[in-house]
Amino acid sequence: MTVTVNGRIQETEVGETVASLLDRLGLAAKYALVERNGEPVERSLYGETALADGDSLVVARPVAGG
Amino acid sequence: MDDPLLIAGRELRSRLITGTGKYPSPEAMRDAVIASGCELVTVAVGRIDLDTVEEAITDYLPEGVSLLPNTAGSATPEEAVRVARLARAGGLPDWIKLEVIPDPRWLLPDPLGTLAAAEQLVDEGFTVLPYVFPDPVLQKKLEAVGCAAVMPLASPIGSGRGLKLRHAIEIMVEQAEVPVVVDAGLGAPSQAAEAMELGADAVLVNTAIARAEDPAAMAGAFRAAVEAGRAARHAGLIEERETAEASSPAGGLTVRS
Repeated sequence: MTVTVNGRIQETEVGETVASLLDRLGLAAKYALVERNGEPVERSLYGETALADGDSLVVARPVAGG
Repeated sequence: MDDPLLIAGRELRSRLITGTGKYPSPEAMRDAVIASGCELVTVAVGRIDLDTVEEAITDYLPEGVSLLPNTAGSATPEEAVRVARLARAGGLPDWIKLEVIPDPRWLLPDPLGTLAAAEQLVDEGFTVLPYVFPDPVLQKKLEAVGCAAVMPLASPIGSGRGLKLRHAIEIMVEQAEVPVVVDAGLGAPSQAAEAMELGADAVLVNTAIARAEDPAAMAGAFRAAVEAGRAARHAGLIEERETAEASSPAGGLTVRS
């Protein structure tokens, strides 16, 4: 199963969730803002949002800005 | 002086809001934020680079400082709404500095796109602070759709040119029903003081502090200027006169005939 993360193809494991993927990619979930197939994912649901083959994810976070 | 800034029912003691961009280091940013005394700082929302481990800007912010996410990088209302939704879903505050900026050269905001996005975001429960050209008619429309503050630019972002549309901002202050926050283009503390003297409720400063030789010292200077300008506004400025008016008795000791 594969998903796309910020435009890059990523292999995922069975039962992968948003939280487990962030963890495996070394992205601190604490800061991550996640959009799945164009829809924002609520932080409280990172652990229970299961990924499906072909999902497209955008992972963002707060950065310096004015 | 107990004179809090009230935005959407929240009291802020500081009338200086600062940005977190353009600092030479995150440590310099933190020191400047502390020196500024501000309680609200802006952050942008950006894609994570999967190849590099970047430091998290939010780790460097002192306790008690709240985030004001912006929609920088949005050229259309749809993009801005997308950023705001992503930020809130991910746990950032539901306050949003709304920027819809189609033009990369002058970085001037799109009034129609900003109004459309503001209406949508207010409808979705966000506290919306739109960044706008100083247009008093647009201000009333933004107030009517429920914006919590209106943020007119002094001059183009990062230009440091000060209040180039002073008279328009004076009109906005005179007719404001929600706070007017002068945002962008303030290059010197004197310009921030001028904005406060003419009645702005607050100012937002980024480049002038971040790019100063000593950002923390400049942040302190802006803090003092904002407080001075606010105090002067309350104290009541004198009217300008065409001619001189002596401050001392006219006669002195010499008898003139």
